[in-house]
Amino acid sequence: MDIKKVNEKGNTLEIKNLVIHYVSEDEVVKAVNGVDITIASGKTLGLVGETGAGKTTTALSILNLVPDPQGKIISGEVLLEGKNVLTMSDSELEELRGDKVAMIFQDPMTSLNPVLTVGDQIAEGLEIHRKISKGEALKQAKEMLELVGIPAERAGEYPYQFSGGMKQRVVIAIALACSPDLLIADEPTTALDVTIQAQVLILINDLKQKYHMSMLMITHDLGIVAEVCDEVSIVYAGRILEHGTLEDIFDNMRHPYTKGLFGALPDIEVRRTELKPIKGLMPDPTNLPSGCPFHPRCDYAMEVCSKLPPETKWLSDTHCVECHLYKDTNESML
Amino acid sequence: MSNTLLEVKDLKKYYKVPKGMLHAVDGVTFSIDKGKTLGIVGESGCGKTTAGRAILRLVEPTSGQIIFDGVDILKLNKNEMRHIRKDMQLIFQDPFSSLNPRKTIAQTIEEPIILAKMIPDKNKRFMRVMELMETVGLAERLVNTYPHELDGGRRQRIGIARALAMNPKFIICDEPVSALDVSIQAQILNLMKKIQREMGLTYIFITHDLSVVNHFSDDIAVMYLGRLIEKAPSEILFANPVHPYTKALLSAIPVPRIHNRPQRILLRGEITSPINPEPVCRFANRCNYAEPICSKEEPVLIEIEPNHFVACHLKGINANA
Amino acid sequence: MENTAKKFTTKKEFFKQYKKKSRLQEIWRSFLKNKLAVVGLVLFALIIIVAIAAPLIANYNNAAIKVNVQGRLSAPNAEHMFGTDEMGRDIFARIVHGARISLVVGLSAVAIALFVGGAFGAIAGFFGGMVDNVIMRCMDVFLCLPDVLLALAIVAAFGTNQLNMTIAIGLSFTPKFSRVVRSAVMTVRGIEYVEAARAIGATNTQIITKHILINCIGPIIVQVTLYVASAILTISALSFIGLGIQAPIPEWGNMLASGRAYMRDHAYIVMAPGLAIFVTILSLNLLGDGLRDALDPRLKQ
Repeated sequence: MDIKKVNEKGNTLEIKNLVIHYVSEDEVVKAVNGVDITIASGKTLGLVGETGAGKTTTALSILNLVPDPQGKIISGEVLLEGKNVLTMSDSELEELRGDKVAMIFQDPMTSLNPVLTVGDQIAEGLEIHRKISKGEALKQAKEMLELVGIPAERAGEYPYQFSGGMKQRVVIAIALACSPDLLIADEPTTALDVTIQAQVLILINDLKQKYHMSMLMITHDLGIVAEVCDEVSIVYAGRILEHGTLEDIFDNMRHPYTKGLFGALPDIEVRRTELKPIKGLMPDPTNLPSGCPFHPRCDYAMEVCSKLPPETKWLSDTHCVECHLYKDTNESML
Repeated sequence: MSNTLLEVKDLKKYYKVPKGMLHAVDGVTFSIDKGKTLGIVGESGCGKTTAGRAILRLVEPTSGQIIFDGVDILKLNKNEMRHIRKDMQLIFQDPFSSLNPRKTIAQTIEEPIILAKMIPDKNKRFMRVMELMETVGLAERLVNTYPHELDGGRRQRIGIARALAMNPKFIICDEPVSALDVSIQAQILNLMKKIQREMGLTYIFITHDLSVVNHFSDDIAVMYLGRLIEKAPSEILFANPVHPYTKALLSAIPVPRIHNRPQRILLRGEITSPINPEPVCRFANRCNYAEPICSKEEPVLIEIEPNHFVACHLKGINANA
Repeated sequence: MENTAKKFTTKKEFFKQYKKKSRLQEIWRSFLKNKLAVVGLVLFALIIIVAIAAPLIANYNNAAIKVNVQGRLSAPNAEHMFGTDEMGRDIFARIVHGARISLVVGLSAVAIALFVGGAFGAIAGFFGGMVDNVIMRCMDVFLCLPDVLLALAIVAAFGTNQLNMTIAIGLSFTPKFSRVVRSAVMTVRGIEYVEAARAIGATNTQIITKHILINCIGPIIVQVTLYVASAILTISALSFIGLGIQAPIPEWGNMLASGRAYMRDHAYIVMAPGLAIFVTILSLNLLGDGLRDALDPRLKQ
């Protein structure tokens, strides 16, 4: 899919036509199949999809962290402030990671080193990238802790002494220590209780504003998207089926999969007798359907859907969709 | 003959830990009518999973009464308990670890029937397995497959089929859809509702996901640190939550809407320890409405309107507070 | 969904239509991909065949036992493939028959250790608490003693015959197996499908046999192959110091012992048994490694 650069200048991230396969002896897993992503400076993009849609692989590619023996980058560019990450040398990448781009993962339990104090872990990035002394780095680390709502005195404690929510805050502190331009958050609150999740999301929003950071928020939860994101890309089988602003996706959705996602959600406001699930299962990435990857599950599928992959149709400056339904019209077909 | 299938009275489960006594479940009382669904919600550490296991005596309760269909099951011996197990089943959360990887689907579903000696004839038993597979929507060609060959949704269906095998009256569902994708969650929830209607089952539905529980339950009980702090029919709980924790919990759910977003109630502080808790309101340290009495006395569960129970000193708070 | 089950009236007919995909096949295929493992398997299979067919390959009394002083210490030639030892006996024949002893004692000893140790370990792992403590502390007492020493003590006390050796080595390995089985059982015991079995009314015995032990087989099989190697080494060691199989019965260890004196000028007399031990141990190790890799589902990711 081809996403127009709405802001020609000042795009923190541009991914163009990224294709990544995992190759093993028996089979090829087509994880990412032509993904275009643009994040303007200071904006947050929500990457929404279910398990196996290719979100995490895309995120890893931004830092060139796709596991190498199996993961092969077949084509595409990942431009971070104009420079292609995929062609950078190791030393250039090391400079980038933690400094210009930071990533927070889903499970705070395994993201933290159990034998280092939290203060040291935050200070680590500072020492490497800012080339300051250990004492100075620790001082800044304590400031970061305060920023995420943890008393600075706890800098000398170890991860096991913190609860899940607090550990995730420490992870955020580590990520933001060097004021990155881009924060990649891969399901950062999925493992947390809902009240803690609320706290963490508010924290992320505040810090985003304060640092004028761009963010890629990977999630399957449309509620989180509504809270934190400016734009949304809906991912399915390694392709982006629909992309737009919050209004475009929440109020004017066009793609049947997007509609299915919303329909399958239980709504606490409206109690229906039956949820409307999407029939069928996620496609097997080693054996993707022909034509449009969603067609076997689509209520609106036509004959052409199983033959030809649909092209990108721009419905407005901000809203595009990949679906044969919209070949000749911009109006909703749902 | 009453309509109540299960009555739980002052259920307690304590664990001895080095630092003292861990009050996992601390005096939970409720009842469920036949054919209804009770949702038990709460966050991690609230004791809902332990309560579920305790009701089935998969962990031995420390004290209390569990009256199932008129019988206090805590008074039964091992054999009698095994007999009653046929009527009370459990669906597990993790579709990956709740199935024996060395058994095929058919073997897993067949096992409870064999153990209960319900159908001695091999062929008739097998037909029953096929019937169950059809009920839960598993294709017959999957009969000899192993769990690792299937996705989460299908595996969970196997778990459901296994629970149904003995024709139970009552099933405890412990986070049955948490590990599944959103689109599959909906499929499984619809299936479970359909089975309930057709077989007249009674459910306890344990979850942390409030949006799901609203869709699925008739009544909802909210747990915090081992205690039941509010219980009401679903519509009432969502429309008129009284306990400050319930209010905060409901407001914390991220709403998939961009207009008219509800106001968030933020809780301060962290959950207190369940070890050797003081006999005071356990939520007081985080409560925005706490008053002196809350740190002195433990609130008791009181019916403030028909079927609406709350354990809070400030039950005078109305929905607008 | 159409219920075609009504077409079939028996389980058998149904199973004929939908065959069970055996996990064994998958494991076998994984195993075959590992070349070294296949080498190990082939070698070990050869050794077993040789051991079974020993009387057909070389005559026991004439070649392996009968003393022939004139023909002693002759280098490998057409008639005696590995040469003759200091008593004029055919080394090849002795190696072949020695294989029998090594394998029989090795496999039986490990079998004893597996069943006795495994039973204790399973009980300790499953019940935990006091039961676990008592059993494991008893095992610890035996674990303190080096294998050879324990076997030695038993053999010295009760006499050096094949049965005693088997029991001795078996007992000395029992604590090791109890540990392996115990940890495997403890790992599986915590997995939800065990709880599920309890929920549907299985008794403890049924849970242990049908659910837990079946899922422990993987790590246990690997340990079995490695301990067989160890057992064979122990037999050889015991025989070497004279407390195992006594002459004139051929055993690789005692062949090494008696041939030691002639090593300098007649190297073949120790090389043959030495190589036999080496190849056997090597094949078992390769086999064990290969099995472990093939059985470990995580490696498949």
